[in-house]
Amino acid sequence: MPEDKTPCLVFSAGTCGQASGANDIIRLAKRYILEKKLHDQIHLRITGCLGFCEIEPLILIEPDNYIYPGINAGDVADIIDATIKGEVIEELFYREDGSNMKYPTAKDIPFIRNQTQLLLENNQKLDPIRIFNYISTGGYAGFEKVISNPDPDGIINEIKEAELRGRGGAGFPTGLKWEIAKKAGGNSLQKYLVCNADEGDPGAYMDRNLLEGNPHSIIEGMIIAGIAIGADKGFIYVRAEYPLAIKHASIARRQAYDLGILGKNILESQIDFDLEIIRGAGAFVCGEETALIKSIEGEMAHPKQRPPYPVNQGIWGYPTCINNVETLANVPVIIGKGAREYKKVGIPGSRGTKIFSLVGKIKNTGLVEVPFGTTLREIVYKIGGGPQGDARLKAIQTGGPSGGCIPEKMFDLPIDYDSLNKAGSIMGSGGMIVMDEHTCMVDIARYFTKFLQEESCGKCSTCREGTQRITDIVTNITQGRGKSEDLKLLEELGQVMKDASMCGLGQTAANPLLATLKYFKEEYIEHIEKKTCRAVVCKEIISSPCQFSCPIDTEVSVYVALIAHKRYEEALEIIKKENPFASVLARVCHHPCESWCKAGEGGDPIAIRDLKRFVTDYGIKHKLCQTTEPVKKTNGIKIAIVGSGPSGLTCGFYLAKKGYEVTVFEKEKVIGGMLAMGIPEYRLPREILEYDLNYIRSAGIEIKTNTALGKDFTIDSLFEQGYKALFLATGSHKSLNLGIKDEHVEGVLPGMKALASLNLGEKIDLGKRVGIIGGGNTAVDAARRILRAEASESVAMVDAARRVLRTTTPESVTIFYRRTIDEIPAYEEEVEGAQEEGITIEFLTAPKRIIAENGKLKACEFLRMKLGEVDESGRRRPIPIRGSEFIVELDTLIVSISESPDISFLQDTGLEFSKWGTVVIDPGTCLTKREGVFAGGDLVTGPNTVVNAVASGKIAAESIEQYVSGKEIKREYKITRPSRYIEPVEFSEDQMAELLTAGRSRMPTLSPEKRKYNLIEVCQGLPEELATQEAKRCLRCELETEEGKLFLDKLQENKPLTEVQK
Amino acid sequence: MNIKIDGIRVDIPEGFTLLEAAKFLGIEIPTLCWHEGLSAWGGCRLCVVEIGEGERKKMVTSCTYPVEEGIVVHTASEKVVKSRKMILELLIAQCPTSRTLQDLASKMGVIQVRFDPKWENCIYCGLCVRICNEQMMARAIGFVNRGNKLEISTPFDKNSEDCRKCGGCIYICPACTLRCQGINQDNVLCNACYNSLQPTCISNEDNYNCWMGLKNECGTCSKEESKNI
Repeated sequence: MPEDKTPCLVFSAGTCGQASGANDIIRLAKRYILEKKLHDQIHLRITGCLGFCEIEPLILIEPDNYIYPGINAGDVADIIDATIKGEVIEELFYREDGSNMKYPTAKDIPFIRNQTQLLLENNQKLDPIRIFNYISTGGYAGFEKVISNPDPDGIINEIKEAELRGRGGAGFPTGLKWEIAKKAGGNSLQKYLVCNADEGDPGAYMDRNLLEGNPHSIIEGMIIAGIAIGADKGFIYVRAEYPLAIKHASIARRQAYDLGILGKNILESQIDFDLEIIRGAGAFVCGEETALIKSIEGEMAHPKQRPPYPVNQGIWGYPTCINNVETLANVPVIIGKGAREYKKVGIPGSRGTKIFSLVGKIKNTGLVEVPFGTTLREIVYKIGGGPQGDARLKAIQTGGPSGGCIPEKMFDLPIDYDSLNKAGSIMGSGGMIVMDEHTCMVDIARYFTKFLQEESCGKCSTCREGTQRITDIVTNITQGRGKSEDLKLLEELGQVMKDASMCGLGQTAANPLLATLKYFKEEYIEHIEKKTCRAVVCKEIISSPCQFSCPIDTEVSVYVALIAHKRYEEALEIIKKENPFASVLARVCHHPCESWCKAGEGGDPIAIRDLKRFVTDYGIKHKLCQTTEPVKKTNGIKIAIVGSGPSGLTCGFYLAKKGYEVTVFEKEKVIGGMLAMGIPEYRLPREILEYDLNYIRSAGIEIKTNTALGKDFTIDSLFEQGYKALFLATGSHKSLNLGIKDEHVEGVLPGMKALASLNLGEKIDLGKRVGIIGGGNTAVDAARRILRAEASESVAMVDAARRVLRTTTPESVTIFYRRTIDEIPAYEEEVEGAQEEGITIEFLTAPKRIIAENGKLKACEFLRMKLGEVDESGRRRPIPIRGSEFIVELDTLIVSISESPDISFLQDTGLEFSKWGTVVIDPGTCLTKREGVFAGGDLVTGPNTVVNAVASGKIAAESIEQYVSGKEIKREYKITRPSRYIEPVEFSEDQMAELLTAGRSRMPTLSPEKRKYNLIEVCQGLPEELATQEAKRCLRCELETEEGKLFLDKLQENKPLTEVQK
Repeated sequence: MNIKIDGIRVDIPEGFTLLEAAKFLGIEIPTLCWHEGLSAWGGCRLCVVEIGEGERKKMVTSCTYPVEEGIVVHTASEKVVKSRKMILELLIAQCPTSRTLQDLASKMGVIQVRFDPKWENCIYCGLCVRICNEQMMARAIGFVNRGNKLEISTPFDKNSEDCRKCGGCIYICPACTLRCQGINQDNVLCNACYNSLQPTCISNEDNYNCWMGLKNECGTCSKEESKNI
């Protein structure tokens, strides 16, 4: 018969396809073909799911296998027309997120290309409800082979040789099971065969897919198995929640009966085989074989203690062989191809392929069929396409609720039954849930054990009580009520459940817990001891992600709510309560709150920093909270603080507020540390800085400028002068060297020095061409500040005489950075701003050699780089490209690769230093190795953000108070809660609809032309209308905790309360 | 069949369970859901024993496991005792008022209950269901629901016409017949009645158990210890 060249439209219409609208697409296609009378020119086939559920509804065009994913009703007619003309529609082809590469055919798509489809492949060729379709594609060939010459031992030997293992999870060798079943009870006894299609794992659906897409292969497998073991009656026990699978299996069964493939004397042989389809009773435990038997018998699905095993005593006491759907689907393949051919796929001990359902935080989700021995990494990255977005993958959960988690570092594990067991997980039926760093492992354990406590049958005490107790304890931990002894109890209990439970469900019920405890114990400990959830998931701990992620515990959601109510003064009080540098941080904070904002998931995060700026600006304009009340009488205890940066001043501020006599020593002539010297005025106007500094001064702090540690005083001398405790916060002001020759010639400047000189209005000679090496904020700040070199400096800092000596703006400013824009550590808006202002950034460029003449810089030779593997910083490592050297002539080269603390004046003072030259402290208390000496800020972390410096100042203040009052120095961790709750703003439906579509309010900025050569602040602040609008977009996460709900309930009761004080 | 229980070689007829074999030898294995007049259930897990040797050791319920030729059984290995104590801890936390459980706890030296008491009146051992079905032939009560919603009830919670009010279910219940009065909110372990049968400790030195180095044996120390936990 010549091959049919007529194109055929294949519609993937499994449950997943139908759910995404395949039925409508099919209806449209049929109508179009009928209306245009195209039957002769095009064929049409409706199949089960093809596996790539992510891109449904789809149309695949045979014979070339062009694939059109995610199509709309409007595309159908075009696709049919184009196909008939022999054309393709390129725009509709599959492409991956964020890439323009098109994949025309199914075989091109990485998700499909990297699989080995032994079973799933057939789904495309078959209409599951047409038996002739199955037969014409080689179906029932294995059955034919067997029925013509029934040889049970031959079949069993073939299966044994193929090393087929049960796909239901435990991996028992199928051949062996059949052999035992065949021998059980002699030949005279009634025997049963059961196909277990009670697939209950959340997120796993390979059995459903097979039954829907290829039901005849299961029936064929069952008849062959029936002949092998001598059973003349089979059951398909299928989940009642799978209506389409039941429908297709029932149709297939009827067709098989009609053709005499099932029933008495099959195809006129001596063999009988009856098949019955039984709908599951809806409990997860029904998938357990002894419970399944009870369920078939019509009893309650309680498992029975084995032995006796079902192969000896099963349904109504007769030998019963139970096989999984996927196992049976493999049988016709083995009999058809022969074991020798089949064995070529897979690894010794685990032959053939396994279907996994790949779901979770991954780009491509769907069914994946791979040979045993494939590594998790191949599945996750090659087929699954890696993580969604930037988040790093953390673990993969295999085997459904009874399985365990495998951490990212073990992704090179080849998958088979034994390797997964060893790793503390199980194969299960093949669910794979990928988790990234936004998944909390404790919460995952809670989710699965909660599922299991509801699905445990309750017969045996360890499983019933054990799952409930685990759920209770883990829930307590996720709610911040965990106790340190809980972990030991959980481990003990989990082990007992594993050892002493009756059935597979109970024995594996502790797996989600034990595996997460094994690999992610530190997360449990953080939840219990530090009341922290690093994935920002556990609601009762974090309250709202913005407040939780704020290093200084600002009650973000509260002040945002107050802004929405236009209660700005209260909002300002809330901000200032935790933050003496409110106006500064409203401009320069790196806002972790916005990165974790829930509104940012699938939308824009709330512009929290801009809202804070709006409130602080409002405060300045209306002269609110300008000063703070100093304590009336100090307690006479003297505390010394070295360094007047954000860390030192914050510490001083809080100590002074508590009545201590605080003296701050500053080496420079200005106070503010990095805020004054490092951050340029166009980002942080000096009057704003001065405003916050005045607020801090008003608490009653003495500040001594031009007084340097090591020169004017020492640590010992301070103690001698009667200071009881000392806080070191001298920052990181020393720029690191490149480590290449001639680095110290004239014209090469350290980044910090250049920036500080410019910010303080000192003269430096820049020349015409300036190059800057580095990609951090210092580098970008320096570049942008240099553009503004000629601008008039702030009056407060510079006298008229200095203006004469002012620095001249160079002609070109170029930044050289060794990675790409995706990895650059400077803030995105700063990089964009710099580019807008005409600063060139040469990416993938690193310096090789400095060319000097007469001790003066002339040029610099650079090398081009390319990105290699991911290094320990999580970024891709730059690798030099050979022979790519080029020379750039420069008058000034600013080296700004990183900074480190200057610790020269701290030698021999009893402090300990890390290998990065920072002071070693206990991060919980800021205590150094020397009694009475505390340290914080960039001095201990290296270059860091302002808000982290402020945070360490707050911690230090608390520890110093504990120290001088003779208490144990210990940081107390609490769950995050706002100090008060604000009622939600009421919206009409129209307003609501408007808010839902409204994006983030953008702050007006000065255009590059207007700002380029002056020091006027670039960002202009939100106008009131935009600010309140933005604040109304807040999702108010803090109201979702129990405490928050209680508040809402009280509001509902119309009590005269408007705010419930905690 | 030749088997080896706790090092004792013994010939046991086929069809016996491990529990019956142990009882025959006078080895005590605690049970709750087992009753000689009823079918084996294997639900309470208290009768677990360890079988096999080396790598292939596993725990099974002795009330259901049939004797096998050459089987090696440990009825009181460390793992077994640990598991039993944990199981009892779970059950007492569920139903602290059961005297049967409290006595077992004293006997087995359970000295702490680390779970919050639930103050339920049932441990779902299924004895009542089985006596109703197997001995009274009534099938009036049965298990309803599953997991944390499991309960024992009549069909649809209505008075059953099949129930003859014979009281067999109450007679056999380990949780509701004998109530323990000695417990309180702070400490769900009682340890009182069982100890009254034993010589009381006036001080540690007066007790012959203690003299013989059998500390914790009489339960008094256990009770003192449990107070401190």
